[in-house]
Amino acid sequence: MKITRFLMRTQHAGWITLFVKTPIKPSCFHAALLRPPIPRICIGQEARWIHCGSTVYKDKPDNSDLSKLFENETKAKSLVTHDDLFERTAKDAKNKASFNRVVDVFNKQDIRRRGHVEFIYAALQKMPEFGVERDLAVYNKLLDVFPKEVFVPRNFIQRMFNHYPRQQECAVQVLEQMENYGIVPNVETKVLLVQIFGEKGHPVRKYQRLMYWLPKFKHINPFPVPFELTQDPIDLARFSLTRIANDLDAKITVYQYPSTDVTETGEEVTQPHIVGIQGPEQISLLAKHNPNRPVFVEGPFPLWLRKTCVQYYLLRADLVPPEERVQDEPDPELVGPNQCLFYPWQIDLDLSRDMGDDFSYDVEDVEEGPVYAMCMAGQGDQATLARWICGLQETNPILGRIPTVFRLESGSRELQTAADVQHDSGQNSQSGSEQEHIIEEEQLHSQRMKQ
Amino acid sequence: MAVSRVTLQTPAGVCGLFRRQLLQPSLSHPTILSTRSIYGEYKRPGQPPDKRWPWEKIRFDFSKGVEGIQKHFGLLKDEFVGRLRGPEGRPLLDHMLEQTLVQWEFRGPESLDQWVVSSDKEIGGQSEAYLKLGKNNTTCMLYGTLCSVPPRDGETRYSGYCTLRSKQTLLSFDRKRHFDWSTFNTLYIRFRGDGRPWMINISAEMYFSHNKNDIYSYFLYTRGGPYWQEVKIPFSKFFLSSRGRIQDDQHCLWLDKVCWTNSSAKSHSRKEYHFENIANLRM
Repeated sequence: MKITRFLMRTQHAGWITLFVKTPIKPSCFHAALLRPPIPRICIGQEARWIHCGSTVYKDKPDNSDLSKLFENETKAKSLVTHDDLFERTAKDAKNKASFNRVVDVFNKQDIRRRGHVEFIYAALQKMPEFGVERDLAVYNKLLDVFPKEVFVPRNFIQRMFNHYPRQQECAVQVLEQMENYGIVPNVETKVLLVQIFGEKGHPVRKYQRLMYWLPKFKHINPFPVPFELTQDPIDLARFSLTRIANDLDAKITVYQYPSTDVTETGEEVTQPHIVGIQGPEQISLLAKHNPNRPVFVEGPFPLWLRKTCVQYYLLRADLVPPEERVQDEPDPELVGPNQCLFYPWQIDLDLSRDMGDDFSYDVEDVEEGPVYAMCMAGQGDQATLARWICGLQETNPILGRIPTVFRLESGSRELQTAADVQHDSGQNSQSGSEQEHIIEEEQLHSQRMKQ
Repeated sequence: MAVSRVTLQTPAGVCGLFRRQLLQPSLSHPTILSTRSIYGEYKRPGQPPDKRWPWEKIRFDFSKGVEGIQKHFGLLKDEFVGRLRGPEGRPLLDHMLEQTLVQWEFRGPESLDQWVVSSDKEIGGQSEAYLKLGKNNTTCMLYGTLCSVPPRDGETRYSGYCTLRSKQTLLSFDRKRHFDWSTFNTLYIRFRGDGRPWMINISAEMYFSHNKNDIYSYFLYTRGGPYWQEVKIPFSKFFLSSRGRIQDDQHCLWLDKVCWTNSSAKSHSRKEYHFENIANLRM
């Protein structure tokens, strides 16, 4: 009876040593029970028996402990999932402290850590809710839930046969969640994994892979986005506009700060923020723009920064057809017979070309019209963008003579009619516009001649 | 605990999968107890396996057969004639002296036929992906929505992706045509995205069936904004992964038999995206 129970309960080759060691005095058991709950240092076979199945323990008649066992068995008739622990604690606050508290409660309630695999899986699922998915200390604490030195294989047969596969899989899942969030484990993780699973198990191999690949991939983004983006819309606009401007000389101007005014009638009038960016190249391009051709205000275009989507608007013009392009006349001092030969302005030789290159294809064929400025605004309606154009006019006076066409995709918002548009500079004649609602691209043709 | 397909690809895990199949033999359906069952036809997660006998998979059609003969013999003749001109049908001097090769360019609606768009939807997810030509017919635009809710088939844990993959070009008699990029060392892409990171994958034809799912990948970070972005990725930077898992044993990409290239993106939540790819991929 004893032997069959041994064979049924134990799944690994450790039973050989256990069987050999069975005839031992009961006093050792009591001493083992009185030991502190989490023996980290392996003191031979006694520590093993505490964690390893209750077969041997049951065979030693000890009335008080048996009764406790029976009590527990009768109590645990209903199926209680580990999620409930989290739900109960989450009623007050979902933060790192309450998460740690739940893990501590689990650790203390059972020295054998029964059901730790399910608990860890439930904890991994609950981490995003508690906001601790990026916290390495919490992951280490979760790995601490595993009982130590129980799952370490002790001979080559155990090492061959995937010792304690469920627990190894669970630890690999913890590390995989760390990998998904891009968290690099530290030496404490390694020490924990080696203590729990030994040096050649799957978790330690996964840790080694993480330590090889994650540092390589952590910093290869040439346009990094911080994990915690500012909530302030103006700072966010500044960050995203510098990112998309592709020009270090570009200057950001805040044309309007967000404010809420209460008018005389008691209505609240909110002014959205307007932040624009324009570089010196764009200023010079706009100065050379032909006033007979219109400029377009296009938008909104989405920009994703991790999980936030911001929208920006462009001021651009269409491509000038090749026949109307004006070639810049080069300065005769820089090019021509009087040029300095040591520092020539232009060299006719294209040194990167080679005989075998394919000249039929030219990237220049895909040119698009120039972009003169970009902005981000709280609201995407024509009034706000008109305010932006006015602001731009201060640095680019030519905008006063160029007709502006608004090509806004309203999406779910309604386009404001031209009659509602108020100009700060108090301009005249706004020709009435008929709004044509085309599904693909909504063009609001309001020809406004500014002076 | 339902162990998903993804986690079982660790070297020891593959043995686990093999053991699992051995333990469940079924006499009513044909089971092939060999590595072919693991690396055989791709079984879409959530779909029942294709358990037809091999002779049930053949279909006969006469008219299609005649068309096929004409098409394939025509291609075969072109290949022979092309060989006389030079490697891959191009003059030898061109092949030897060129520095760049424009592999893909978008110059009209027929260029979209060279690409296959796919997304989460094929495994039961909710992402959408569409491909269209951009303005002036000179660029292509990949757009849609990404949704990372995994399909409820019990196997998939992570979801939410979209890909744009180049179609497998075929020679005569439906043989695969490989690209020979051995004279080049960099991949050059000109694109415009919306700030989201993408991944470029290249697959080369390998000899053994174990390497069927080997993909070489690298990241493509978009800046967002209206300006085009040009990126040159040396082929030596691509790292090897198989079925989504980075392999321990890395070696460089062999360029003489490249099958396809693709770019893919994944998201953590429901998102819209667009990715405009201009013009070309040069080397």
